[in-house]
Amino acid sequence: MKNSLHVKLLLKITQEYVNSHFTLVFSLLFSLLFLAYSYNFSTQSWRPIVLIFFVIYAIITAYVGFLTLRIKQDLASYSDIRKSTRLLGYPLLLTIVSGNIFSTSFAFLLISRSKTAEYTFAAYALITQLFIIGISALNLFKPYVTDTYLLAMGLFLLLAIFYIVMLMLCTKFVTSEAAPKWMLLPGILLLIASLTGNLFATLLGYSLIQKARKANPSTIEKWQRIWEKILRNTMAVFGLFFIVLMFSLSVTSSWTFDYDFAIENNYGALLQTPSLEYPLGTDNYGRDLFSRIVFGAQISLIVGFFSTIIPALIGGTLGAFSGYYGKATDNIIMRSLDILYAIPGILLAIAIIAAFGANTMNLIIALSVGAIPTYARTMRANVMQLSNFEFVESARALGASDAAIIFKHIVPNSLAPMIVKATLTIGGAVISTSSLSFLGLGIEPHIPEWGNILKVGSTYLETHSYVAIFPGLCIMLLVLSFNFLGDGLRDALDPKSN
Amino acid sequence: MKRLLVFLFIAVLALAGCVQTKTEVEGSKDSKEKGKKTVEVLGMAASEEDMNIVRDQLVKNGFEVKLNIQPDYGSFSAQKDAGNYDLALSSWTTVTGNPDYAVRGLFKTGGDYSIVSDSSLDALIEEASTLTGDAAAAKYKELEQLLVFDQAYIAPLYISNKYQGIYSELVNPKTVHLPKSRAQVWENIEFNDSSKNATEPLILHQTIDSLTSLDPIKGNDGSINTLNTNMYVRLVNLTDTDEVISDGSLSYNHAIAEGNQEYYFILRDDLNFAAVKDGTAVDTGELVSAEDVVFSLNRAKDSKSVPDHRTYSLHENIETVEIVSDLAELQKKKIAGSDQSVLDALSQNLPASVTQLAKDKGTVNNAAGAYQVVKITTPTPFPQVLNYLAHQSGGIVSEKQVTSINTYDVAAYNPDKDIAYGDQATVTEGTATYNNHLYASGPYILIKKNDYEAQFVKNPAYRVGSEYEPKIAKINVRFIADNDSALSALRNGEIHVLQSVPETKLDIVKSDTKLTLNTADSNAVSYLQMNTSGRPVSVSVDLRKAILYSINQDEFISYYQGNKKPAVSTVSPLINTGLKLEADSKKVKEYLKAYND
Repeated sequence: MKNSLHVKLLLKITQEYVNSHFTLVFSLLFSLLFLAYSYNFSTQSWRPIVLIFFVIYAIITAYVGFLTLRIKQDLASYSDIRKSTRLLGYPLLLTIVSGNIFSTSFAFLLISRSKTAEYTFAAYALITQLFIIGISALNLFKPYVTDTYLLAMGLFLLLAIFYIVMLMLCTKFVTSEAAPKWMLLPGILLLIASLTGNLFATLLGYSLIQKARKANPSTIEKWQRIWEKILRNTMAVFGLFFIVLMFSLSVTSSWTFDYDFAIENNYGALLQTPSLEYPLGTDNYGRDLFSRIVFGAQISLIVGFFSTIIPALIGGTLGAFSGYYGKATDNIIMRSLDILYAIPGILLAIAIIAAFGANTMNLIIALSVGAIPTYARTMRANVMQLSNFEFVESARALGASDAAIIFKHIVPNSLAPMIVKATLTIGGAVISTSSLSFLGLGIEPHIPEWGNILKVGSTYLETHSYVAIFPGLCIMLLVLSFNFLGDGLRDALDPKSN
Repeated sequence: MKRLLVFLFIAVLALAGCVQTKTEVEGSKDSKEKGKKTVEVLGMAASEEDMNIVRDQLVKNGFEVKLNIQPDYGSFSAQKDAGNYDLALSSWTTVTGNPDYAVRGLFKTGGDYSIVSDSSLDALIEEASTLTGDAAAAKYKELEQLLVFDQAYIAPLYISNKYQGIYSELVNPKTVHLPKSRAQVWENIEFNDSSKNATEPLILHQTIDSLTSLDPIKGNDGSINTLNTNMYVRLVNLTDTDEVISDGSLSYNHAIAEGNQEYYFILRDDLNFAAVKDGTAVDTGELVSAEDVVFSLNRAKDSKSVPDHRTYSLHENIETVEIVSDLAELQKKKIAGSDQSVLDALSQNLPASVTQLAKDKGTVNNAAGAYQVVKITTPTPFPQVLNYLAHQSGGIVSEKQVTSINTYDVAAYNPDKDIAYGDQATVTEGTATYNNHLYASGPYILIKKNDYEAQFVKNPAYRVGSEYEPKIAKINVRFIADNDSALSALRNGEIHVLQSVPETKLDIVKSDTKLTLNTADSNAVSYLQMNTSGRPVSVSVDLRKAILYSINQDEFISYYQGNKKPAVSTVSPLINTGLKLEADSKKVKEYLKAYND
């Protein structure tokens, strides 16, 4: 009895087992989805390509199921996962070719014993890079590619190899506390590599540099602990992965995707169904939906990011002053913000755009203004609580100025809830951008933006549904990703659980 | 491992050799980048698709394009009046079905909608209006040549077709007409189950809920064209293919006298005015008479007869309107192009042959041979005047009723105080001003309206017993601004006829077993109006021509899946002049070069 309880507990805390379950469920779900789609009910025929995908995913599901059982057995009999089981993870790495991110990440988790944050970063940096290569490679089926295409693809391949090397080095030399001094060089290289938008490389580089420089151990520990918590949360990791992928794709798309396919009308290819040349089909002007969605990510992310950061800064500052000084200052600031808060955000945005015209800059401003009060409230609450703490008292006793106290002592300690809030509201901003474009108030209609694409698609929902489904899915996934990441961050940064 | 790597490397290199880059395919574009001309295109959100295609075509021909998209017609007109455009995406529908109307208001100096001022164009418009047949076609060809190809005041895009959706589960689609120019014909429509005609309301659709005026001469727009056409009978009528006929109108027959300057109409006596009493229509017992015709047409051509007169320019070619009292005049005059007398031409298929012309409406009795005849003269030969008489603004109103309502001084009219005949406030339900004073000479009369719908009932004294007697007793016109929502309403039977199904949704209507799709030609033309003052395009013909030859109509047609037709000017749907606009990027380059030099 005691033993079985022990095993149950062990199963629960073993990340590999939890993850294998997760992978099993999702792989199964996708194979069922492919199966359902592989038969065309209206023409009573099979779709061979989808069927092949079904077979591949079904095999993956079966294999993961086998691994799950094996891990369970191992844990029951040895209280640990055997090396032979871990070796079985290697074939699963190949599933990246099928695009099954769940099984790939599970494979990386399984094959290595050490689970430093660096290892996970390196693994995801690699997966992201491979996905980008795969997605960009679809452009080979186009009549032509951009002039920088080959160069960029070569660079991507080199980066992928670099990440593989880093993955190996991390397993060998990096522990959860320290890294050898020479890791400084790859760390810097990684920071440079993050110019391609691969934020996992940034995280890895930052982490390595910190450890290599033997920085303050408590900082390292804190960093390590936060990431361990986030990385344990599978959904948050996949959320982060999708965000990084989209971000990196929007950075690199300028080199590997031709903008003309996204905005130039092609009357010879109107409303084509998905094919190799047009992976997601074409819209009513014959523009490649795939290119449009990839370029659309740029605007969605830029607007989403800036319309979150601007109100966070303004609202945060106002909230900090209001919370710190209290009394009249508090009343004046907060009551004025209450007035702003009383106006529905989207209506305010519509009014601003209607008055000043539709362009990206105005869109960001319009979406920012309405969000200021909520950030101010969050910051104010934190600052009010913190300003009564002893370390603030002592700083004041030592003669620190108000500004120094607020920005050096209080604000850094109240950032966590702001970060969580910001992450959660980026999703909302992405939706608002798309909604405004959908209403014709956002960005010029021919510019690829997810709301614009969706608007065109909505007209063809009944006849050519894919024009609406793909941008809709992208909006949904990006918002969902931010929400999952936000949840993960909240759990990791929650001071109560520390 | 090493071997594998080497193999991979070679494979990648080999693959890289196969890939074609953009420069290899399209060549260097540097020459195009220099000296790009920025063009501002103004349009409404509803025509976003056309704007996008125009933008694309101009960009591909080396222009930079700035789009100015306005949400509605009001803000579009405001921008247009302010001159904030190079090209304005415009559309025109010739509702009278005659070519003169398609050019006079639009391109003649000082015309109602004209921004063009060109004396040779004015002369051509005047000359063409006096001609008929091949001579007219030749003159309109000259006009198009000047308007489009020589001066490029406009760049034509396409001619639309009409697509009408009918809820055929309930409404008999054979009874629903789709005329080319004329507004919807209500009196013919029947339900499949004819027992429902008397009880069930027919529900039609209209986009605009604010009615300009129910006085036929005070409006000429989408908000009232259909309503007034069905409320006021006219001297003549247009068929589905735009021929002028007397069927379904106030006259038995009409005749054009020799010289094309005198027009005769012999009137029926089976139409009375209807009025609204206690929420329903009653027969006033007053005949729609020649006196009312004279009164109506005189006020139609006189710009000072009412405030906000919006249609006098359509009728400015009427010189006199009079009642003919001398039968000998009709016997003496010959009709144009024949030896037949006017009387003979007017006497076909009458209930009784003409024995006398009634002195006034009191003595009219068709069965006994007493008829009223109206004569209209034009200062110059102008046969197209008949088309204008068939337009809703030529609707016949009651002299007695209109003069009793319009008692104010026209010059000092104050819309807040004075109530004009046909003011929509008098028929808006639930307001203090509700006081329905309408007198309808047509098949239906408006009882009341609100923001949601307008309710009509049939005129109880409109040609009772004939095939033109209104079949359905009640008609509600529902106001739905968004065309896609209107289509949804049609699909679930909330409305019974949708006049304009969007081109992109034709498949949906075709595949729906409850619906029937009706197709017809239309006189609607879309074109780009070039700004004529204050912009580079206003000064340089070369620049205008460069824009003109950038327009590829075939691409528009393929975008609309073949549901549009090529156009040359607003005359194209009415007269085929044989001209054709072909996109030519070589010409664009030449003209742009000439412009830059």
